Amino acid sequence: MDAMTGNELDCVLDGNAAAGLLQQIFVLEITAAQIECDACGFGGAVGSLPLYAAPMGAVLRCPHCEATLMRAIQTPRGRWLEMKGTRCLRF
Amino acid sequence: MPIAPRPRLEWQPVRVRDIMVETLRVKSLLLHAPGWQGHLPGQHVDIRLTAEDGYQAQRSYSIASPPEDDLLALTVEKVDSGEVSPYLVEDLRVGDVFELRGPIGGYFVWTVATPGPLWLIAGGSGIAPLMAMLRHRARRKVRNPALLLYSSRSLEDVIYREELDGMARVDADLRVVHTLTRKQPKGWTGHRRRIDRELLAEASFSPEQSPRIFVCGPTSLVEAASGLLVELGHDPLTIKTERFGPSGWMP
Amino acid sequence: MDETPISRGFRSKRQGQTPKGRLPPGQYVTADFPILSAGPTPQTKLESWTLALELGGSLAGKWSWAEFEALPQTTINTDIHCVTKWSKLGTSWQGVTFDDLLRAAGLAEPPEPYVMAHCDGGYTTNVPVEDLVDGKGMIATRYAGLPIPPAHGGPARLLVPHLYFWKSAKWVRRLRFMEQDERGFWESLGYHNYGDPWKEQRYDGD
Repeated sequence: MDAMTGNELDCVLDGNAAAGLLQQIFVLEITAAQIECDACGFGGAVGSLPLYAAPMGAVLRCPHCEATLMRAIQTPRGRWLEMKGTRCLRF
Repeated sequence: MPIAPRPRLEWQPVRVRDIMVETLRVKSLLLHAPGWQGHLPGQHVDIRLTAEDGYQAQRSYSIASPPEDDLLALTVEKVDSGEVSPYLVEDLRVGDVFELRGPIGGYFVWTVATPGPLWLIAGGSGIAPLMAMLRHRARRKVRNPALLLYSSRSLEDVIYREELDGMARVDADLRVVHTLTRKQPKGWTGHRRRIDRELLAEASFSPEQSPRIFVCGPTSLVEAASGLLVELGHDPLTIKTERFGPSGWMP
Repeated sequence: MDETPISRGFRSKRQGQTPKGRLPPGQYVTADFPILSAGPTPQTKLESWTLALELGGSLAGKWSWAEFEALPQTTINTDIHCVTKWSKLGTSWQGVTFDDLLRAAGLAEPPEPYVMAHCDGGYTTNVPVEDLVDGKGMIATRYAGLPIPPAHGGPARLLVPHLYFWKSAKWVRRLRFMEQDERGFWESLGYHNYGDPWKEQRYDGD
């Protein structure tokens, strides 16, 4: 019976890896945009955010308080984007 | 700084014009992309392979060539358990066609228009986007100070080794520092360990010099290096990171 | 415009020699155990871990780790299927079945038709109670005889193997009974509300 292996650290990427998906949703350059966390006010570039869940979708979290800032997925019938955790984006 | 709207990403067929062997497990693919609008050093592309039965696989690769070059270069490391990289490294031939779209990403980019020292820190195949930056800097003959700290497992695993040696030889403002973490050749006087605080402090720019810092490689290296850089006094806003997943990029 | 160019000689490596009918459509068998998380791994200490059953805003049951470990343990051997297309065959899990949990809470039958699983880190997923009873669902604490590592959902994760594995919520802490179905983390972002791998219900609208 195989053990549960896998380096979990390698599975955390950053917003750069979500650029392909996000660039199809946003007209303006998204990874360089500044994002503000609604929960704690942290501000930073979208490209620098920790990215989780990469094969299922993009879950971008605040590096400061870990709140979810943005979620996006691609399906055969379209793309979904949710940004409840974002106070604002500045391009 | 105003940022221009980007064209929508569309898949386009690209043809393999040349294949260069970099190391035992790494090859660079030189691609002709008709109508390519240009890119910034540090950006990446998505590629898509389609099998005869319609099965498709998609991966992302950094563009290793500078915008000054006619052909796009992708540097691919073969991951044994991978699905795409073994095909690209072992089966692909000159003349073959696959699909590509890009350029993608506007955060992890650097051009000669940015003043100040350039500090690049790479682990393994994370050198690819940083090589685009160095090649761009060389083509434009810009002499701002530049430093590459490059961590590899062994000398045989150093990608672009001769080219980097050559660049450093003709450019007094470029310094290339290697660290070989698993195996070192006889007589090796260079570093032989993973990037740590001492190594960074030795081969470095000071925070006062305000370098633009780019770190690219496995997540573990990127997190370690960027944490140490902040400890050494560098402003986090000057540090840009790109984490590769275990097999390069996650799909 | 031209058709999609075929990549000469490219083949999927993933279609192995699996007995027909064992793999749901579109899946491939993997030997490793990929990790996929929607957030950082919670580091919950066993001393503070509790599992709760919630009904109408109040607790229908609550167990500390020691109490939970003292409940009847069941071992199951099953296949699991991730929506990202990997499957693992013949995996072994041990834990407390949903049926035994209900019994321990003194509930003769499930009080509502739906359950929302709430997890450390904020992840949620919704499952009809029909898909948890009769041994179909458990709270698992061991994989292949060993405690589940945190990165894989330990100390305890929900296990509902006949649905796509995103329903087997890692770091489960609370099962909330619902009168009406509500969509969880992925279900509210375009993934299928139910997730039957045999009907390839990956995305909303499939």
